[in-house]
Amino acid sequence: MTPESQYKDKIDFYLSSLDELGEVLINQQGSTGITKAVLRIILGTMMASKGAIIGIKRTRCKVLSSHGVKSNYIEFKIDPNEKKDLLKYKNSNLNKTHLKKIFNSKKQDTLSSYFNSLDPSIVVPLFHKDNLLGIVALSKKFTGEAYKAVDRNVLEIICNHLTDSLYNQELIANIKDKRMELRLKVLELQTLFDISLSLNSVLDIEELSSEVLIRSVSTLNASSGFILRAQKNSPLLSVLSSFNVDEDKIKDAMFSKSSVPFKSIWKDKKSIKISNHKDNPLLIKSGYKECLVSPIIGKQNILGCIVLGDKESREGVIPFEKNDTDILEALSSQAGIAMDNAKLFEEINAAKRFNESIMGSIATTVITVNLLGEIDTINKAGKDLFGDKAKHIIGEHYSYFFSKDKNLCTAIDSAEHELETISELNTSLLTKSRNTKVNYSVAPLKDEKNSHIGLVVAIEDITEQSKIKNTFKRYVSKSVVDQLLDDEQKLNLGGEEREVTVLFSDIRGFTAMSEKMKPKEVVTTLNSYFSEMIDIIFKYDGTLDKIVGDELMVVFGAPISREDDAERAVKTAIGMVESLKKFNEKRISKGKVPVNAGIGINKGKVISGNIGSKDQMDYTVIGDTVNLGARLCSFAGPLKIIISKSVKNEIGEDYKTRKLEAIKVKGKRKPVEIFKVLT
Amino acid sequence: MSNFQVTVKEVDSVIVIATDGYLNNIGGEKISEVCDEYIDKGKNTFLINLEKSTVVNSIGVSILIEIIEKLQEVDGRLAYCNLASIVEKTFNIMGLTKYSTIYKDEEAGVSDLTS
Repeated sequence: MTPESQYKDKIDFYLSSLDELGEVLINQQGSTGITKAVLRIILGTMMASKGAIIGIKRTRCKVLSSHGVKSNYIEFKIDPNEKKDLLKYKNSNLNKTHLKKIFNSKKQDTLSSYFNSLDPSIVVPLFHKDNLLGIVALSKKFTGEAYKAVDRNVLEIICNHLTDSLYNQELIANIKDKRMELRLKVLELQTLFDISLSLNSVLDIEELSSEVLIRSVSTLNASSGFILRAQKNSPLLSVLSSFNVDEDKIKDAMFSKSSVPFKSIWKDKKSIKISNHKDNPLLIKSGYKECLVSPIIGKQNILGCIVLGDKESREGVIPFEKNDTDILEALSSQAGIAMDNAKLFEEINAAKRFNESIMGSIATTVITVNLLGEIDTINKAGKDLFGDKAKHIIGEHYSYFFSKDKNLCTAIDSAEHELETISELNTSLLTKSRNTKVNYSVAPLKDEKNSHIGLVVAIEDITEQSKIKNTFKRYVSKSVVDQLLDDEQKLNLGGEEREVTVLFSDIRGFTAMSEKMKPKEVVTTLNSYFSEMIDIIFKYDGTLDKIVGDELMVVFGAPISREDDAERAVKTAIGMVESLKKFNEKRISKGKVPVNAGIGINKGKVISGNIGSKDQMDYTVIGDTVNLGARLCSFAGPLKIIISKSVKNEIGEDYKTRKLEAIKVKGKRKPVEIFKVLT
Repeated sequence: MSNFQVTVKEVDSVIVIATDGYLNNIGGEKISEVCDEYIDKGKNTFLINLEKSTVVNSIGVSILIEIIEKLQEVDGRLAYCNLASIVEKTFNIMGLTKYSTIYKDEEAGVSDLTS
């Protein structure tokens, strides 16, 4: 082979290498793929056994591709002075002599130490302008020949193309980084937007704090975090929520707003970054290398703080940046507003529960009506009163619900227009039933600014009281009924033994008298007589026990006992006689026959209570005392009053009496002493 | 500090990786290790079940991007299932869904990836 043909072959070889290089640079993507392919071309073209392409960024080197190199390191450092020295060989290459001068560091984990493994014979720095992007390092040729000038020239040509390609790759990587940064910004903004939405809808403080914390940790790439909450009347801060933290570390840790670092946060109301402080209690307690703490500021005070620890990167923990502080402050500011809202909501709920508890515990029905006339609320007493009707009361117009109670509707209407309280006592509530008796009042409802916001209707169910009144008013005076209702303890309607005074009155000769009268006149006469007598009985608070035919039985001392029971009984009897005398005068003047009654009074123990069947119960008294009272009545002549010794003993000397002959009474061994009251 | 857990199973040649915990640097690295191990064994289709990983940060996402790049070199695919809405939103913003698929659940993922 002639030297010319050898030269031509060599040229063809180099040209085919460059042709292959062109294809690689066009087709390969990513610096790793390109450098692998280019190194293969270089090694083949230069006939080298070992080589590497190393990328350089600032002082960090990374083996992008290598062949035949036995090194433990793929990443290492380059000394800045070495970089500076390489600049002298910007458009050239370095041989072993040059390399020895520049790379003489004994340190491990450096480019010099890597060269010890590779033992390069030729190195080409890959400069784009003055920026060192990397180097190509080759060991000696496997043929043992030295690198010739043409080899170096061809290598430089390949390396120039590689430099352009690496620069392009760097540009692409930068664009990717920028795109990633942009996406991170979008993510931050989206997080802030999302959090403002969710914070407006979440009203549970714990759920809220957890949401804020998780968003803060993930957005700022923190490894973990926790939220501390200020407590009422205590400097201690409690852990409200935590994420990804070592629970054991913070569970028992004590955090106080009067100690480092919280003291300054509470004072300055600003975020702080804590790093490089081995003695900082927060770093010790949390186990963080660095942390960011931001106060959660409410309307009136600091509600707590967010603690984020150890910002992550692919290279390990890196410092939090100013931007991180800004974002955390924005998030904690949102959290402050939301927590204030949640707190307010909690307080409103508590006040509502308190009001409901009060409203539920009162026996009076309370209904609120809004300005549209719709029923807004009803308490438990109201639900009990109206039963099933109350199920659909909310939202119904009062005029529909109370359509049967025109008076109540009128009262609501008047209260609304006149803005005054309107009441009515002892009236029927037809909405409930014909028999339901109530007292009601309707009052305007006002807000804290004294603006009219509706009406409150209070309905007191007095049906039971009314029943008692109706039941007793036939038997006792109004004052006794009122006393009974005032003090229910006095109202013992069960059976009991008690001391009472009983008064019986009976019309003398009633049968003979009634035979001479028409039935209607008998009834009229009796009604007039009883009416007069009962007035006297009630005047002295006697209990009208029963009326049987023309006989009256009156009890003093049941259901309410008084010391002067016997005396009032005698006064009643005297009053009845005097009233009867006047009653007869009128009758005689009208040509009618007089009504003459005799009265007997006895005092002693009786059994009192509701006596009768389950369908017909009457409050009455029974016993010997009652029987003797009736016997004394039978002894009394017209308009005469006979009393027993027990009564005589009670009334003392204020009343004139005359002892009569003792009488024999069935069931009594000794004759009974009796007295006539002189009127 | 982190208690990120992964469980791996193979369903019809799809490597299903179920995760539990914060998908951050540590979590991402764990997933990456598993993927590397199975790529070396010749597997190239991965489905990550993120049902129990409801919080993710951008470092975790960037590791997933690296896994996608690795899988592109071996003509493989990466997919996810059971994503919390916030995680899905993050994946969308970070551009992850352009190069990988999200499935409703594991069954749907495996079914589609093997068809």
